[in-house]
Amino acid sequence: MQAQVEKYLAKLIRHRLVACEDDAALYGLDDVIFSNRKSVPAQAARLFDLLNINSLLAARPEPVLWSVITRLTEDSPQLICPRDCESLTFIHDIPVVPSFDPALLARALNRRKGCIVRDTGIVTTGTVSLEQAFISFSSICFSAVVKLFTDTINALCGYGDDAPPDAQRVRDCLEILDHLAPAPVAQLPFRGIPDSEDEIVRAMDAAGKAVVDAGLVDSFFGNISFRKGDVIYISQTGSSLDELPGCIDRVPLDGSTTCGITSSSELMAHMKTYELTGDNVIIHGHPRFSVIMSMFGGPLEFGETRFVEGVPVVAGEVGAGSRGLLHTLPLAMQEHHCAIVSGHGTFASCSGSFDEALARISSIEIMCCHACRSVLEQTKPNRA
Amino acid sequence: MRSEEYRIRALFVDVRSRRTHACEFSPETSREFLGGRGSGTLLLSGRPTLDPLDEEAPLVFSTGALTGSRIPSSARMVISGFSPLTNTVCSSSVGGRLALAMKRSGVDLVCITGRASQPLVLVIDDAGVSFETSTLPLDAPLSRVFALLGTGGGSVAAVGGAAWKGCRYASIMVDGTFSSGRGGLGAVMASKNVQAVKIRGSGAVRTLNREGEEAARRDIIRLFDASPAIMGGLGLKTFGTAALVDLMASRRMMPTANFRRTYFDQYQTFCAGRIREHTSPKHYACPGCPIACKQKAITEIPEFETLSHFGALNENADLDAIIEANRICNEAGMDTITAASSIACLAEIREERYTGPLLVDMVRRTAESSGDGALLKLGSAELARRLGAPEKSMSVKSLELPAYDPRGAYGMALAYGTSTRGGCHLRAYPISHEILRKPVATDRFSFSGKARIIKISEDLNAVIDSIGACKFAFFGASLEEYAKGFAAVTGLDVDQQDLLAKGDTIYTLERHINCMRGFARDDDMLPSRFYTEAGTPGPGIEVPPIERAAYEEALQRYYRIRGCNPDGTISEKRREEIEACRRR
Repeated sequence: MQAQVEKYLAKLIRHRLVACEDDAALYGLDDVIFSNRKSVPAQAARLFDLLNINSLLAARPEPVLWSVITRLTEDSPQLICPRDCESLTFIHDIPVVPSFDPALLARALNRRKGCIVRDTGIVTTGTVSLEQAFISFSSICFSAVVKLFTDTINALCGYGDDAPPDAQRVRDCLEILDHLAPAPVAQLPFRGIPDSEDEIVRAMDAAGKAVVDAGLVDSFFGNISFRKGDVIYISQTGSSLDELPGCIDRVPLDGSTTCGITSSSELMAHMKTYELTGDNVIIHGHPRFSVIMSMFGGPLEFGETRFVEGVPVVAGEVGAGSRGLLHTLPLAMQEHHCAIVSGHGTFASCSGSFDEALARISSIEIMCCHACRSVLEQTKPNRA
Repeated sequence: MRSEEYRIRALFVDVRSRRTHACEFSPETSREFLGGRGSGTLLLSGRPTLDPLDEEAPLVFSTGALTGSRIPSSARMVISGFSPLTNTVCSSSVGGRLALAMKRSGVDLVCITGRASQPLVLVIDDAGVSFETSTLPLDAPLSRVFALLGTGGGSVAAVGGAAWKGCRYASIMVDGTFSSGRGGLGAVMASKNVQAVKIRGSGAVRTLNREGEEAARRDIIRLFDASPAIMGGLGLKTFGTAALVDLMASRRMMPTANFRRTYFDQYQTFCAGRIREHTSPKHYACPGCPIACKQKAITEIPEFETLSHFGALNENADLDAIIEANRICNEAGMDTITAASSIACLAEIREERYTGPLLVDMVRRTAESSGDGALLKLGSAELARRLGAPEKSMSVKSLELPAYDPRGAYGMALAYGTSTRGGCHLRAYPISHEILRKPVATDRFSFSGKARIIKISEDLNAVIDSIGACKFAFFGASLEEYAKGFAAVTGLDVDQQDLLAKGDTIYTLERHINCMRGFARDDDMLPSRFYTEAGTPGPGIEVPPIERAAYEEALQRYYRIRGCNPDGTISEKRREEIEACRRR
């Protein structure tokens, strides 16, 4: 379990979720506690006594993310309710606890995967692996940013019932936006169209790492696929895009094997998109500003389409349910080869190499960031 | 919310005296043991050392609190007793309409004791209990028994000919196609001279907080839809449990030739695609379940375990023979896993192969207790012991292992050892994370961290079985959402950690009962084959034997986490805590 502790500590830094190792404490429990700390504080040991868990992560997010969370806790001192897809599906809501008191923390963590401790940081848990705690930590940070910006721009423009934000809130958002603004994605080391299975895995691996490095997805979300003839190579469900080797399923389009039962929950949407577009690459990420702008204007009805910077935005839940994005996304992809699922993330497809799809997702995110800035700059707020 | 709102309504039936007694569990007991498996375990703990077929040994049919609610996939019934196959505590979850019918009749739990003077059909409805002397032949095929009894808008549980012929793994069949399969509780029911239990009810099922129930339902459905294993195009919704055949073969953990290999090169003869092509099955579901994992064509399509064990385990590539073997098991009321494993065990001892019509004939003989069937009906452990080759039985605590080779998933290996009903995959169900990557993936070839994971998963699955939920639901949703549903339905102020603590109590009590019945550390070990023989390698996959020392270390870690002594018995402190819960 020590290896898990070290792995997820490194990922917290690499994903720019915490500023330095000292800001994060990770604990894994089998019959003894493993940690990155020399000794286990009494509060952490007490939490393990109070909760039937095997993993605990307590960390202060890096300063910009923490400033976002702090603002949200000022607005909602007890419970934060984000409306993006990661939250609706997995996190539900985020309790806020006044102090790092094990009894208070346990009460919050009894019912949710993670909580915010005011003036301190985020605490998350897992029952199977530290990866769960890492995912919840990442999702809370992601959801907080999305919520702060969507609440602000929607209120600013009169969407929803919230009062318009004051000028200071808008200035804060602009400052945060400057810190989080995406950079253009780096070129992939593997150029061209892969042919052999080895090349396909290497190309998917490189593209996946580039998506993560560019901050276009968080934790284990997003997926990526490549079609060669009648076979789709697709990332497995719950695989991290920066750790793809060994986590790619080979799924024949003729349905002759069910081995792809472990593949991404969006397998059916990828298959349908390939069918309608004739493309051979799909990349799906959760870029912050694309998600934020997809929620600008309020909730989107199922079946309704709106556009952000010329990119279609459609509604749809994760997966293949009756209101799943399977029924909306592929049609939008057919015409545009890219689309944002409202509150969820961006899909881009192309007929060629991964570079093109990656560049498309990246440019959509940059455009959405600009669009968000424009809303913040050009809409008159309440006087502070 | 008032915690006293939730009380388990129990009906005790003595079939010898034909006396019944209805009562409610105290709020404290109801809250502590939840219902379902928890209630059954509690009742078994009252007479923990009875022989499984003793007249006074209880046979408990118990619903969960969620049964009849709008919480998805929660219509399971749990049947509990002492196993005549393993001598352990045993409970078995079963689908169909039985749980819902019982709930509507105003009863949460029926506990049967005694032995009737002649075969009975026990009828439970809104008016109470009636004892009808059975006029049905005891060896009639169960399809005929179900047709003759009818459901009358309710549901029927019945035992078939195998139970009356002394099969130690006789099952209890529900509504013709759902099986309470493992551990031989059908033999317990037959020992009470109860041929069938027929339940019909017209009452409403109460939910205290409709709004909370609806919120939980929405969250759960969203997670079902997001789960490839459940609602994905290659998952249970589309292909039923047969969807796992290809996967297990590709992971090189498909038990083959009585676990001498872990890959069967003709597995595609019974994979999901082949079944669809060969039979064009239709799907059906338990009440309130959107997954609808059951499949039927002209006859019932076997579940994954049955396909794999009547297929690969017996080196049989004849799909028709597998379907027919399954049909015979269902008609006679026999657990397919133990039936198939016992035949594979006998085949290895005799250095023979029973495939195609020969395999079907062996199953038929088992049901009839004729020829080799007289030996096969005892299960592989007793069969192998009698033939002087006990090491050929691929079982733990005499319960045959299902179709996940432990050399390919070390959490599964440990869970087979610590399972309170013997070699069972469902007590901790680590396949969820070791193979299906839910809630996250774990390293299947490592014991690192697995002791606590298995302990927590055992607690979790004890809860799932106690609230009436289906385990497949947890390939997508988690206890976080189900706890919310449970709280809304019962009005209890509980969350997932509260429920896990109850699961811990239930599981530890089961283990304690087993200890009182003579089980200890040695019974938690796997068959020696798994420590000495490698599985079949595949592309990029090596399947070495499990290192015995690593397994034993993981087992000792598990004991410390579970509150056991190094010999596997429950520590005194933990016994006292469990006893205090039991006496509430």
